[in-house]
Amino acid sequence: MNLITEPISVSHYLAVGALLFVTGVVCMATKRNAIGVLMGVELVLNGANLNFVAFGSELLRATNLGLDGQLMAMFVIVLAAAEAAVALAIALNFYNNHSTIDVDRADDLRG
Amino acid sequence: MILQAAINWQSFYFLLFAFVACGFALAVVFSNNIVHMAFFLTLSLGAIAGLFFLAGAEFVGAMQFMIYVGGTLVLLIFGVMLTAQSKFVSMKTAAGEWVLGAILGGALFVLLIRAGFAVPEWNTPRSDAASLVAADAQHATAIGGAVTGYRVDRLSEENPVLRNGMSGYLLPFEIVSIHLLVVLIGASYLARTKKRVKVAV
Amino acid sequence: MDYLLSVLLGAAVLLPLCSFFLILLFGPRMGKSGEFAAYLAAGAIVCAGLLSFTSLAFWLGHHWPADSSHHVAHADGDKHGHDSHAAAKHDEHGAAAHAAEVPINYTGNYWVLGKFGKLNVTISYYIDALTLIMFCMVTLIASCIHFYAIGYMHDELHDITDHEVTLRDGSHLHRPGRFPRFFQYLSLFCFSMLGLVLAGNIAMVFVFWELVGACSYFLIGFYVERKSASTAANKAFIVNRVGDFGMIIGLMALWSCLGTFAFGDIDDVPGIFSQVRPASNHHALLVPDGMVQAGARDHTARIIREHVASDAGLDAGKSELSSQTQQFREEGFGYWLLVVAGIGIFCGCVGKSAQFPLHVWLPDAMEGPTPVSALVHSATMVAAGVYLVGRFFPVFAPETLLVIATTGCITLFIAATIAITANDIKRVLAYSTVSQLGYMMLSLGVGGWVAGLMHLITHAFFKSLLFMCSGSVIHAVHTNDMRKMGGLLSKMPVTAITMLIGCLAIAGVGVPFVIGFSGYYSKDAILEQAFSLSLNNSSAYASIFFLAAAGGAAITSFYMFRMWHMTFMGKPRDQHAYDHAHESPPVMYMPLVLLSVFAISVAWDFTLIGYGIVPVAFLLVQGAKRGWFKQSSGGHGDHGHDAHGHDSHDDHGHDKHDSHALTVHHDDHGAACCEPMCMKTIIAMLVASLVVGAALSFVLPTCNLSLRNLLEQARPAGTAADMTGSWVKWTWPNEHTAHLAENHSRIVVPMTLLATLTWIGGISLASCMYWLGYLNPEDVRRQFAWVYRLLINKWWFDELYDWVFVRPTHVIARVVSGFDRNWLDWIIDNVANVTRIFAVLWERIADQTIVDGFVNLLAGWTYSLGLMLREVQTGKLRQYVMFIVIGAIAIFVLVSFFWNPTLAK
Repeated sequence: MNLITEPISVSHYLAVGALLFVTGVVCMATKRNAIGVLMGVELVLNGANLNFVAFGSELLRATNLGLDGQLMAMFVIVLAAAEAAVALAIALNFYNNHSTIDVDRADDLRG
Repeated sequence: MILQAAINWQSFYFLLFAFVACGFALAVVFSNNIVHMAFFLTLSLGAIAGLFFLAGAEFVGAMQFMIYVGGTLVLLIFGVMLTAQSKFVSMKTAAGEWVLGAILGGALFVLLIRAGFAVPEWNTPRSDAASLVAADAQHATAIGGAVTGYRVDRLSEENPVLRNGMSGYLLPFEIVSIHLLVVLIGASYLARTKKRVKVAV
Repeated sequence: MDYLLSVLLGAAVLLPLCSFFLILLFGPRMGKSGEFAAYLAAGAIVCAGLLSFTSLAFWLGHHWPADSSHHVAHADGDKHGHDSHAAAKHDEHGAAAHAAEVPINYTGNYWVLGKFGKLNVTISYYIDALTLIMFCMVTLIASCIHFYAIGYMHDELHDITDHEVTLRDGSHLHRPGRFPRFFQYLSLFCFSMLGLVLAGNIAMVFVFWELVGACSYFLIGFYVERKSASTAANKAFIVNRVGDFGMIIGLMALWSCLGTFAFGDIDDVPGIFSQVRPASNHHALLVPDGMVQAGARDHTARIIREHVASDAGLDAGKSELSSQTQQFREEGFGYWLLVVAGIGIFCGCVGKSAQFPLHVWLPDAMEGPTPVSALVHSATMVAAGVYLVGRFFPVFAPETLLVIATTGCITLFIAATIAITANDIKRVLAYSTVSQLGYMMLSLGVGGWVAGLMHLITHAFFKSLLFMCSGSVIHAVHTNDMRKMGGLLSKMPVTAITMLIGCLAIAGVGVPFVIGFSGYYSKDAILEQAFSLSLNNSSAYASIFFLAAAGGAAITSFYMFRMWHMTFMGKPRDQHAYDHAHESPPVMYMPLVLLSVFAISVAWDFTLIGYGIVPVAFLLVQGAKRGWFKQSSGGHGDHGHDAHGHDSHDDHGHDKHDSHALTVHHDDHGAACCEPMCMKTIIAMLVASLVVGAALSFVLPTCNLSLRNLLEQARPAGTAADMTGSWVKWTWPNEHTAHLAENHSRIVVPMTLLATLTWIGGISLASCMYWLGYLNPEDVRRQFAWVYRLLINKWWFDELYDWVFVRPTHVIARVVSGFDRNWLDWIIDNVANVTRIFAVLWERIADQTIVDGFVNLLAGWTYSLGLMLREVQTGKLRQYVMFIVIGAIAIFVLVSFFWNPTLAK
C-alpha cells in the first residue's frame, strides 16, 4: 500500500524497466518464431527507453526538464524502427529461402 | 481496504500502467500464437507510452505511440502476415529451454533490481513530489533547442562551454538520419523481388 | 738489343704454345679430319724458326764472333778480334788474362710470379750465343720434322686398324685416326723445349724440364692402345722422375745456400753464376758464402750464439761471421755442398739424357712414331740434359765434373756395345743416341765445354737425319727388323744416300787436317780434350777417358755401317718387303736432304759451305728432271719447299736452291720413279762443287762465322782457365791448351790420327762383315757367344731393375692393396653397416615414436579442442542470445565484486 500512497522514485521506474528488459530477453531466447524474436527486441528497447526517460526526468533532479532522457529515448526509438525494418527484411528473405520462419532452422552457420 | 493516507494518484496510475505493461509483456513471452503476441505487445507498448507521460516525457510518449506502436508494430504485423504458415501455432520451445531462460532471466532480473535499488539517490523520492507537475511543458521547443545545443535547462550552468553548444545532440541527429537512409537502402535491397521458393506445406 | 732479343725469342717460344691450344680446341675440325692442324703446327714452328734466325742475325750484327780458330798461335792473347765490333765488346781467348770475362749475355725478367722472402720466383730469360744456337737448331730440326711427319703420319687421317693390338676376341683394334693430336703434342713439345732453352732461372728450367718429360710421355704413348707403347711411356716418365729427385736435391742445396734461382745478374742482384764464380776471384770457382757457412754449421752457430748472448747483437755476429768465412773456405768447409749441388743437378741430366744407370727408357721410347724419335729422343729432349750441364758448367766443382765424365764414359761404352747386336733399326739408333750422349757428357766432364756442345749440335742434325731416314725405310718396308731388309739402295736412293751421309757424319769421317763431316770436328775436339786431361794428370784413371772415347768411336762407326749395310746393301732378305718398297714422297725426303746438308756442313766455317752448295743444287735439279718430286700414290701435298724457307748462319748460300725448289711442279702420277744417277754425273757434280767452293772461299774473306766461334762467345766466365780439384788432386786443363801451337804435335796430331783410325777400322770391319761378306757375322756371334748373350740382353739392365725395383714395389703394392681391400674395406663397410642399422633404429625409435608421436599427440589435442569448441557454434540464434545474457550476468557479477557504491555519487 505504500506504493500507492508514497510518491514514486526513480527506482520504481527502473524496476519496471528491468522487468521489461528481462522479459524481452527471455522472449528473444525462447521464441522460435523470428517475428517473436523481433518482438523481444522491441521489449528490450522499450525497457531501456524507460530507464532513459526515468533518469532524465524531474524524478531525479528538480532542474531536469527530461530533455536528455527524451532525446536519448527518441534516438533509440528511431534506431529501433530502422532495426526492425532491416530485421524484418532479413526474416522475409529467410522465409523466402527456407519457407519456414523457425529460427532453429537457421543453423547454416553451425561450426 | 482502509487507506491510512491520501492516494497519490501518480503512484496509482504508475502502478496501473506498470502492471499492464509488465503483464502484457509477460503474456507476449508466454503466448504461443504469434498474432496473440503481436496484440499483447501493442498493449504493452501503449502502457509504456503512458508511463512515459507520467514521467513527464510527453514528446517521447507521443513518439512512442506514433512510431513504435503505429509504425514498428504494424511492420511486425506485416511480417507476421507475410511469413504466415499453417503451423505457426505449434512452434513450441522445449521445456529445458524454458527452464534455462527462466533461470537466466531471473538472475538478470535480480541483478538489475539490486542495482536499481542500491543507489540511495534513486531510491528516495523527491521531497516535493506532490508538486511534481509538468506545468509549463513546451517540451518540443525545449527538445528542439537541445538538439541544436541550446539547453534551456542548463541556463544556470557556470561553464559557458557546457551551456552553449557542446552538449547538443546535433551530431547524433545527423548520424541517425544518415543511418535511416542507409537502412532504407539496405532494407529495400534485401527485400527485393527474388525467385519465390515453393512454400512447404 | 736486350729487349728486342727477349721479345723475339719470347715470341718464338709462345708461337708453338698458341698452336698447341688452337689444335687442342679445334683440332678435329681443322680441315677434313684435321689435316690443317699439321699446317698450323708447322707454320708455327717455321715462324719460330724465322724469329730465331732473325734474332741470330741481330746478335751477329752486334756481336760478330771472334776468331778462335786453332790454326793461329795465341799464346799470350795479344791478338784481339779482327772486327771492330768484337774489339769493343768482348775479349776472346785463352790466356789467363782473358779468363776473367763474363760471356755476353742478356738476362732479365719477363714476369715476377712471387716473392718469398729473398727468393724471387720469376719467368725470366738468359740469352747468350748458346741460347741462340740452340734456338736455331731446335726450330730448324723441328720444322723439318714437322714436314716429315705430315707425310709419315698420313695414315692417321682416316680410321686405322692397329695390327699390334689384339683385343680380347682376337680381332685387331679398329680406331679413328688421331692426326691433329700428334701435332698438338709436337707443338707443346716445341714450346717446352724452347722455353727450357730460354729459361733464365733454374726453377723455370725445372718446370719446362718436367713439361718436356710430359710431352715425351704423350708422344711415346701416342699409340696408346699398344701395351708396349704405354708401358714405354710410363717407363720413360718414371725413370726421368728418378733423376729429377736428384735434381730437386740440387735445387734445394742451391737455393738454401745461394738464395736465388737466377742464372745471371738481374737488377744488380747476383745470380748463381756470379755467386759461384765472382769477378773478384777472376771468375774462378769459389764456394759461395752461403755454402761455406752452411758447411761450417757448428762454427757458424757458435759465432752467432756468442754474439747474441754477449749483447753484441745479431748484426755484429753476422759481420764477424763474414770475416771468418774466408778462413772457413780455405779450410774446405762447404765444398761438399757445392759438389752435391752439382751432382744433384747432374742427376736430372742423367735421367733426361738417358745416362747410365737411367738409360733404360730411351730404347723403349722407340715405340713412339719415328718423327717423335727423331725430334724428341735424338736431337732435342735428350739434348736438354747436355744443354743443362753446359749451362750449369760454371757451378760444377771438379769432382762433379769427374762424376759426369765417368758416367758419360760408362754410358757410351755400354750403349755402343749393345748397339752392335741390335736388330731393330730404331734400337740401333737409340743406343747410338745414348752412346753419343755419353760422349757429350764425357766431353763436358773432362772440361771440353765447346767440344761437348758442338757435338750436341752436330749430333742433333745427323741423328735426326738418321732417324728420319730409318723412318722412311720403315714406312717403305713396314717393318723395323733389319734382318728383313737388304738391297734397298736401288729402290730408295735418296734415303740411302742421305742415311749414308748421316752415318759418315756420326762416324766422324773426314780427311785428317783438311776437312770432314760435322761429326769429324766435334769428335776430334772431344778426343783432344780427353787426351789433354790425361796428359796433365798422371793417373791411369785419367787415361781411361780418351781410350774409352776412341774405342767408342770405333764401335760407333762399326755398328752404324753394320746398320747401313744390312739395310741398303746386299741381297734382299725378305723378297716380299723388297718388292713393296718404294721411295718416300717428297714431303718426307726433302727434309732428309736439307738435314743431310747440315749434317755435312754445320761445323764448317761459312766459307766452306760453298763446297756444299753445288751438290745440293745439282741434286735438286736432277731430281726435278727425273720426277723425284712427284707426289706419291698417297696423295700428299708437297710441302717440301716450305722446309727451305729458313735462313741460318751457315746456310746463306742455300737461298739459291730455294728458288729451285719453288719451281718444282707436281704431277700426280702413280709410283714415284727413283732412278739412280750414273757415275759420270756424280763425278761431274763433285768437280763442279770443288771449283765453286774454292772460288768462294777465295772471294769471301774468312769471316769467323762458325759454330765453334759462336760457342766460344758463350763460354762461361772462368772456364778458360785450368781447374784443380780439392778432393781429387787433378787438374782440368782449359780447352784452349790443346790447341796451342806447342801442343799441336803433342795432342792434336795424335788424336786426329787416332780418330781417323777409328773410323777407318770401324767402317772396314762393318763392310767386311755385312757387305763384302768376308767375315760371317754368324761365325763371330758363335765365337763370342757369351758376349753376344750379354749384349743382346742389353747387359740385363732391364731385368736387374725389374728384380730390384719393380718386383718389390709390386709386392709392397700387393700387400698394401690387400690390407686396403681386406681390412680397411672391411672396417669401412662395417662402419657403414653399423651406421645404417643405427639410422634405422634411430628412425624408428626417436623419429617415429618420440618425435612423430609427440607431434601427432599435439595435433590430436588441438583437433579435439577444436572439435570441442566447435560445439559452441550451433548456429542457433536463441542460444547466442542466451550467451549474451550469460555474459552480461557474468560481467555484472564480476564488476560487483569490485564495485564500490560510493563511486556512484
